Amino acid sequence: MSTRDRRKRDPVNIFALPAVVIVALVTQVPLIVTLILSAIKWIIVRPDLGIRFIGLENYLSVFKDAEFYMVIVNTIVLTVVSLAGCTVLGLALALLLNRKFVGINIARTLMIAPFFVMDAVVGIVWKTLMLHPSFGINGMIAGWLHIKPIDFLGSHSLATIIMLVIWQWTPFFVLVLLSGFESISEEILDSAKVDGAGIWRTIFQIKIPAIASHIEVAVMLGLIFILKVFGIIYVTTSGGPGISSTNLPYLVYRTGFFRWDVGRATAMAVITVILTLVAVTAFFRFTRRKTSEVES
Amino acid sequence: MIDYTGSRARRRTAHYLFVLLIWVICLVYFFPILYMFITSLKHETDVVPPKLFFTPTLENYRTVLLSSDIVSHIVNSAIITLSSMVLCIFLGVPTAYAIVFGKLKKPDSLFFWFLSTTLLPPVAVIIPVFLIFKNLHLLDTRWGMIIMYVGANVPIVIWMVRSFLKDIPAELLEAADIDGATRIRSFFKIVLPLARSGIISSALLVFIFVWNEFFFAINLTYVNASPIPVYMASYMTQEGLFWAKLSAISTVTVLPPLILGWISHKSIVRGLMMGAVKG
Repeated sequence: MSTRDRRKRDPVNIFALPAVVIVALVTQVPLIVTLILSAIKWIIVRPDLGIRFIGLENYLSVFKDAEFYMVIVNTIVLTVVSLAGCTVLGLALALLLNRKFVGINIARTLMIAPFFVMDAVVGIVWKTLMLHPSFGINGMIAGWLHIKPIDFLGSHSLATIIMLVIWQWTPFFVLVLLSGFESISEEILDSAKVDGAGIWRTIFQIKIPAIASHIEVAVMLGLIFILKVFGIIYVTTSGGPGISSTNLPYLVYRTGFFRWDVGRATAMAVITVILTLVAVTAFFRFTRRKTSEVES
Repeated sequence: MIDYTGSRARRRTAHYLFVLLIWVICLVYFFPILYMFITSLKHETDVVPPKLFFTPTLENYRTVLLSSDIVSHIVNSAIITLSSMVLCIFLGVPTAYAIVFGKLKKPDSLFFWFLSTTLLPPVAVIIPVFLIFKNLHLLDTRWGMIIMYVGANVPIVIWMVRSFLKDIPAELLEAADIDGATRIRSFFKIVLPLARSGIISSALLVFIFVWNEFFFAINLTYVNASPIPVYMASYMTQEGLFWAKLSAISTVTVLPPLILGWISHKSIVRGLMMGAVKG
């Protein structure tokens, strides 16, 4: 039997079909529709205006909007600062937790918990129990210190959102980086000790370079997820005050489901897709060049 | 061992100081969740201002679990999450098998196509999905949510299971071929048992993602099919002053993924790393 015949007959190929169909239905088809909708004028709550093709006008009006640039800056700040915070904090905590003592597993269990808590609850617990200026832990500490409580969600909305994202995502970094540190062989560490390398040199010149691929995976997955942060913003600040804590996903949501401006919202969604692809590609380029530098 | 008796005691102390430091950090990090649990055991009158000493009560849990409204949302969450998880495995594992052992023309490009869909931000699809669901009467239905979650999470299963399948030597399957077993038979007899841990960890990851998902849930459901996160967000705006009850619902809601995460985090990370290294 030639390979061609086998290929045609192999029933295993049909296995892949249902998954292809459903993934295409949920991702590819709506994406194409989004592209089409972004070229029309259609405000659902204004049926009197009708639906008409306007080409690139939605994009032009979005790009003329100062608010839109502020939201893009918010999104970039939120993503970059959160990722940097998660990486540094994650490395420090993973290094600390990478030792043996009685009860280490319980300590690790406490540490990783926030990652499994849903966005809605993260937002609710921090907004009420923790940061509420009068009745939360925030107000209590301010009372002890006889200072005015910090108005976290009012005056520092974006910084607070970043803090919550770091709190939620650092445990994921700890999990991944810790598994990396645990995979470093004892021999390497022993020989470093014999060579007289101090603690800091061991950490920065041996341990961290040894887990480069783990850091890459953590940052890559973190990037994809932190770019689409939505639930925490929805529950805590609703993007405000003003648009100070609005990121791209939240802006698309508001434009689509409050102003019901389908054309404008989908145009923003398309720009979000492009920016995501640019960010991910840039990250891949960066890491690949680094690895080839190490190899050469 | 390079160790001098003189410095041993000092090292001991350093070690215990480190251990103490680690405990303090971990407890501070965990504090918001702990405080949520503690608050859920308080009477509403003890919550504000925060009281350190109080008589614990299970009253809030009784209120929460006797409220038909809350229970129906938890049931929605459970049905949507479990159905999505099972369907993701039923669709994802055979696909991973076809990619690794099938005779597809371009298995790698099919795989990367699946992988690329995970990069797509949900806002890129939400408006068309909303309009399509409205016309097909899928808005605010459990089926609608299940379709969305299966489509969004099947690639994760394919990604993780594929790396486990790649570890199975092809000779094993070829030997089975010679014995006259069909590829479908060897799928059940050889491949499934060997890839078991990968399948389980990807299933748990899908469970955690779907149970916690917020964006699709808030935009595509209102009353009938809305899972628990949607209920929590609306409770927060309507009755946000009842912090003890809010904490009790939050604790109940957080528990399933938290327990699964605690049990399975090691295998989930192993699965993620294998998928990434062999990407």
